[in-house]
Amino acid sequence: MNASLETFELQRPAVEAGLALEEALLETICQGESRFGLVAWSPTDRALVMPRRHERVAGFPEARRILLDRGWPIRFRATGGTPVPQSPAVVNVALALRCQVGSSAAHLEWGYRRLGEPWCAWLEALGIQDVDLGSVPGAYCDGRFNVRIGGRKLAGTAQRWRRVRGSRDMAMLAHGAMQVGDTPEALVAVVNAYQAAIGDPQRFAAGSHVALGQVLPELDVDVALPKLLHGLASLVSCCVF
Amino acid sequence: MTSDVRVPEELWEGDTEGVITAWLVDDGATVAQGDLIAEMMVEKAQYEIEAPVSGRLVIAKEEDEVVAKGAVIATVET
Repeated sequence: MNASLETFELQRPAVEAGLALEEALLETICQGESRFGLVAWSPTDRALVMPRRHERVAGFPEARRILLDRGWPIRFRATGGTPVPQSPAVVNVALALRCQVGSSAAHLEWGYRRLGEPWCAWLEALGIQDVDLGSVPGAYCDGRFNVRIGGRKLAGTAQRWRRVRGSRDMAMLAHGAMQVGDTPEALVAVVNAYQAAIGDPQRFAAGSHVALGQVLPELDVDVALPKLLHGLASLVSCCVF
Repeated sequence: MTSDVRVPEELWEGDTEGVITAWLVDDGATVAQGDLIAEMMVEKAQYEIEAPVSGRLVIAKEEDEVVAKGAVIATVET
């Protein structure tokens, strides 16, 4: 399937193509072709995705082989954080913005809130209660701005910042990965298998995660997701950047 | 004459430290102004650092080293 930057619909590329789509989105900002953009995708295949620096970890080649044998090839992403499973059970949303660091209060927290607050509002509009942003002890790839339901991690967030060509402005890509299907146990097991393979004693807890399908089993994500994207776009269009 | 390559001061609030995740050019290499030379990570955000001027890069902070806002991570000798 060909992926596009021109739609508010959920796209279904392979993991590598989805990651490339996000890179292309950021690049449109860096090249001055647009001031903001959005893309939503859910992979057709599966992979354990991590920043490239993890390649330097002792035992990585063996871990890569072990994960591949389990059906989870390792791929690299441009945003920060630690390993995250990507599969058809995950929906990714990436928001790219052109902004001026300092003069418009653009900084990391600002970027996370531009992504996370509309996400929370969307969940609340779906009838879900106890939604907020925060850290989740025991969750894989934890950060301060996960989208949480009842204190459990629904979506992890990360960013990438790059200079706009020929300008002092910056391009920010804020990305969220939300588990919509499968069970937290299934995805946590993949990350824990990687932890074991590299000899890292840290393990993550399925009880720290939640899938949207556990909360709203009847939800059609393809139908519901455009409202999240329109919510993100409307918040961005009304802010100065 | 040398120019400092610094961790940006205004990218995040508070005193959270970041880490140099990759040097994209070697110590002692010749770089041009605007070249992408390093990546750092803070708060799960990857941030690209460019050469402020053209010249010879002297790396002061190694990969995986923790850095504070405003820290000098390299200099460029012109």
